[in-house]
Amino acid sequence: MEDGLVVCGQTGPVLAQLEQTGLATWIRESGVLYGYPLILFLHTLGLGTLVGLNSAIDLRLLGVASGIPLASLEKTFWLMWSGFAVNAATGSLLFMSDATKHASNPAFYLKLACVALAVVTLMRIRSQVFRGRESGRLLAAASLGFWFVALSAGRLMAYIIEFLS
Amino acid sequence: MNLAHLHLLLNHVPTVGLGVGFGLFLASLIGKSDDLKRASFVVFFVVALVAIPAYLTGDAARFTLQNRTGVSDELIAAHQNAAMLALIPMELTGFVAWIALWRFRRWTLAALLFLSIVTFGLMARAATVGGQIRHPEIVTEGRAAFAPLWPTPAAMGAALVIDHPWVWPICEILHFVGLCLLFGVVLLVNLRTLGFITGVASADMKRLLPWGMAGLGVNIVTGMLFFLAAPDQYTQNTAFFWKMAVMLIGALSLLSPTMVGESGTADPHARAPIAAKVIAAGSICLWIGVIFLGRFLPYIGAE
Repeated sequence: MEDGLVVCGQTGPVLAQLEQTGLATWIRESGVLYGYPLILFLHTLGLGTLVGLNSAIDLRLLGVASGIPLASLEKTFWLMWSGFAVNAATGSLLFMSDATKHASNPAFYLKLACVALAVVTLMRIRSQVFRGRESGRLLAAASLGFWFVALSAGRLMAYIIEFLS
Repeated sequence: MNLAHLHLLLNHVPTVGLGVGFGLFLASLIGKSDDLKRASFVVFFVVALVAIPAYLTGDAARFTLQNRTGVSDELIAAHQNAAMLALIPMELTGFVAWIALWRFRRWTLAALLFLSIVTFGLMARAATVGGQIRHPEIVTEGRAAFAPLWPTPAAMGAALVIDHPWVWPICEILHFVGLCLLFGVVLLVNLRTLGFITGVASADMKRLLPWGMAGLGVNIVTGMLFFLAAPDQYTQNTAFFWKMAVMLIGALSLLSPTMVGESGTADPHARAPIAAKVIAAGSICLWIGVIFLGRFLPYIGAE
């Protein structure tokens, strides 16, 4: 309990400072189309690219379109990592624009955890399954599950914070 | 021209188009012509796409007509429910027609015969009730303008979303699941056509396509539920109009991968013709455009 208070005491001002920075204030309050809406769009585009391609690869590993050689899909990894980079950047911007609110949202931590697990799973799919060391069915199913929970938690963040407050 | 006007232009397409498609389909069965058969599948698919804005613009027309004297709200509601009842089998017809184009199976013939007949009957019913809204001359004298119609899928869909606060968030999640499925498959199939991905036969890559179509299906259903629950929020938003226009052209571009032979070439290193590449690049851009307009919808277009 005391630890929790100390953590709050330390991170609270940091988060508050973060959302008071010029950039965070601009994202939150400028109201221009190339601000918050553009960041939100890029976050969705990155999601579609990373999760879309990854899900298609998962389906392939689960037996759909089994005629596709895995080697031919190697080239999609740079696209997926680009999607991830875009979303790490836009996600950080979205977080800082409302830092204290997001940091108090359990759905946000669930989302982050599942994104991390899904990314580790994707790396493992490349290092093990694409090298022919594993069949990959289990990894593919886990990947789909992690992305589904990450996506659901992300979508529900607004509803959960409303429910909690 | 406004959206109510657009409704008048589009609302004849489902009945007339379905008639044309059905005629071609029957002729292909009698004449045993595969080309004619594929042509009828294309017509079914295109009509199923046009039926979507025909329905959506109907709500815009209702918005324009509300509180006008001489227009019956009950009649409009009956027309709307009849239209939704016809739209559901219409979309199924389009989906099966696309499957038949993608990879022909015998069961699709029986399914299309059944679905197109059922859809035509329901569509004609919706059209008749719709006509009565502004054309009292077609109402048989001595009979009520319309008998209460059942079931009422449009009203039921709206009630489902409005009465249960968890339905909207669940639909939002599913809308994003559909987005990922569709966009991922669109990227892979079109990047193969463009030559960015090589070493895989386009015929094999195209085996993924039904999963993309399933994603599109999920998004049409969930999108329609949003629309049913808050129609004015969408019909009065120009960004929504553009999203639908771009989405329909994007959906049309999903015909392109089914057009080369039965399911594309079996050579893993074959290069696609330039026309196919142009359509592939266009398809990716169109779907990015749909995501863009969807995300910007609350910020642009609203009055």
